Amino acid sequence: MLHINCPFCGLRAQKEFAYGGDATVKRPEINREVSKEEWDNFVYMRKSPRGKHIELWHHISGCRQWFKVQRDTATHEIFKTAKMSEEIV
Amino acid sequence: MTYISSLQNIHKHGTFGDYENKNENELLKLKEVKNLIIYQIVKYKNSTADVSKMNLDGLRLPDPLKVKHNSSTRILWMGPDNWLVISDKKNIFDTFKNDFTDKDFAITDLSHSRTIIEVEGNLAREVIKKGSPLNINELGEGDCSNSVFHAITITLDFISDNPQVIRVLALRSFGESLHHSLTDACLEFGFKSV
Repeated sequence: MLHINCPFCGLRAQKEFAYGGDATVKRPEINREVSKEEWDNFVYMRKSPRGKHIELWHHISGCRQWFKVQRDTATHEIFKTAKMSEEIV
Repeated sequence: MTYISSLQNIHKHGTFGDYENKNENELLKLKEVKNLIIYQIVKYKNSTADVSKMNLDGLRLPDPLKVKHNSSTRILWMGPDNWLVISDKKNIFDTFKNDFTDKDFAITDLSHSRTIIEVEGNLAREVIKKGSPLNINELGEGDCSNSVFHAITITLDFISDNPQVIRVLALRSFGESLHHSLTDACLEFGFKSV
């Protein structure tokens, strides 16, 4: 089981969280013509990297906040967590 | 409105589990806490209200993972800009509705949507440990936390350290399942249902 450091509640067990997908996907800008391909990429297309990856997690059985987690998809090591308003560099 | 407990047909009074040859002080006590007024207060994201100066029944809003309380009201931190007010004052809403205006706050009456079970006794922490991954040894009187108990989302409110009293709150619809899980966890220690 992973232990994830929620930016609001501290270190908690994975049981309290829900995985929310890739945190690097950017929604196409509003009020601009969006091609079908661009929209398709945003909605469906995801990379599946091996190694460091920034993900969204939801502390669903805790403070109910979304936040970012930088995790190694091969080793499951967690490097950093950050609030949605913060960047992971 | 009449309050009908979700545990009405399952919470039986008596002594259960491994209670023989133990005196009453050694036994855990399990109690349903009913007829409390519960409000959720959420500050809107675009609100500029300064909550550090706000007052609710003579209490400031608590810091993360903390509880502020007086003899009738407890305010629990639920998340950023999110609090739970639990009180036995029937008119508690009237006391804070003028300060917590609907321009800045969403206030929801949850009084009928929660089941509260209180576990009391020296082994109360051990009971919670059986179903929750929370590092409960770090928490004590005046703390609160959301977590899970056998996959049921719960709120833990640490009422007292001596004697150990922990309130477990869950959605009303999970009340019966939570009651079964807690009573199962208490059996090996022996418990008195009051």
